[in-house]
Amino acid sequence: MVEKTRRSNVGDSPRGGDQREWEVFVRKDDTDPMRHVGSVSAPSPEVAHEQATRLFAWFAEDVWICPAEETHRFSTHDLDDDAKPAPHPNGEEGRTHEL
Amino acid sequence: MISVSKLLCDLDAEGDGLRYDAAADSDADQIRERKQQKPVVVWNLTKQCNLYCEHCYAAATEERAPGELSTDEGKRLLDDLADYGVPVVLFSGGEPLVREDLVELVAYAADLGIRPVLSTNGTLITPEKAAELRDAGLAYAGVSVDGLRERNDAFRGQEGAFDAAVRGIEACLDAGLKTGLRYTITERTAPDLEDVVDLLYDVGLDRFCFYHLDYGGRGAAIRDADLAPAEKRRAVRRVCDMTREYHERGEEIETLLVGNYCDAAYLVEYARAELGDDTAARVREYLRRNGGDPAGERVADVDYQGNVHLTQFWQGYSLGNVRDRPFSAIWDDDSNPLLAALRERESHLTGKCADCRYLDVCRGASRLRALGVHDHPFGPDPQCYLTNEEVESDDVSV
Ligand code: SF4
Repeated sequence: MVEKTRRSNVGDSPRGGDQREWEVFVRKDDTDPMRHVGSVSAPSPEVAHEQATRLFAWFAEDVWICPAEETHRFSTHDLDDDAKPAPHPNGEEGRTHEL
Repeated sequence: MISVSKLLCDLDAEGDGLRYDAAADSDADQIRERKQQKPVVVWNLTKQCNLYCEHCYAAATEERAPGELSTDEGKRLLDDLADYGVPVVLFSGGEPLVREDLVELVAYAADLGIRPVLSTNGTLITPEKAAELRDAGLAYAGVSVDGLRERNDAFRGQEGAFDAAVRGIEACLDAGLKTGLRYTITERTAPDLEDVVDLLYDVGLDRFCFYHLDYGGRGAAIRDADLAPAEKRRAVRRVCDMTREYHERGEEIETLLVGNYCDAAYLVEYARAELGDDTAARVREYLRRNGGDPAGERVADVDYQGNVHLTQFWQGYSLGNVRDRPFSAIWDDDSNPLLAALRERESHLTGKCADCRYLDVCRGASRLRALGVHDHPFGPDPQCYLTNEEVESDDVSV
């Protein structure tokens, strides 16, 4: 049996001001995992890609862009007033090991 | 921040320990005993402002913007900052005085042992508000004025803003709050620089901070209004000359330069030309301890929605959000390649900065301006006004 981490669903407060906010993921080369490197403000995914390119072109081969408001975040961190506990069946789950 | 009065006139101030690792050499009460390990955090409490300034890096608006951190969220943020060891929180905006919980948050920070300071346009500070802020533990109020009446009001988008800001400064001084001027040097504001200092000195102010324009927020839209490098050099020279003239008259004003660390290189050049090699060597040693441009290291920003930025001016890129993850974890996450590279930027800088003999005191100045002009975070700062001869010189006597 393993204990599951208890997380909350971080609320959907806006992250952008005049422009939309876009989460940015990059990888250094095609064998690297994608890593989250923050977010940029931009009116469209194309402009967000341009912004991310300016910041990370010296480093990254691939860049993925994701609208911040479409990203559902589940976290153990508890700062957000609007966070709601995520569904958590029984608190534990079974796991079998086959040797 | 670079203290001109400390470096050229030997004026001790309570920020010396933070800036120069020079607490032991200073006669003033010190903010910290040791050189700063954790960043000063600017917290833009709100995007809302009662003015509409041309150079606003936060692109502030008249209406309250959605997503502001609540009072409770702000207190949890301050808890994390205190646990992490943040020495100073600068409450900024927008205009922080439009938030009704400002005094409560200042008091909360002070109780946690964080030094709370304020950046404000001053127009909403009444005598009562100044006393409340003082009683809450506010350590310092920096009030923005960008020229004499006519120029300031045009720049700040409201008639009467100058008079209201001066009333705010007087209210702070009457309440016994340590208070200073914030003055952004641009083509339009540079002509009034000395007159504003003279006028506000007569009002009772003795601390004057001069900001260079950075290219974030509406600042990017007025890049053309920035001074050309040669004019910028003249303006910095005027700050140095004016500081010395005041001190020679026995009027010990504190003057600081913010936002362009090639000022550090210039100050060494200035000291060598005006005050001799020994003074220049001492100035350089202090500046080396100061550590050059602080982006991503000694200064951080949390915006009104909880996004964490490399500096308060760099609002278009966020490292993460404090609603998802503690500030301390975001700031310590060196897996972010930009953050990691900024912390060892000497090996990434290109162009004029790469081989500069003043790299140890400047560190390439503003990466945000480099990004704005060269589309590259490690390009040279376009606002470096040092000549090629100065930065390439082999004369390393100081
Ligand atoms: S060349 Fe670069 S590192 Fe040297 S003083 Fe100018 S901005 Fe600073």
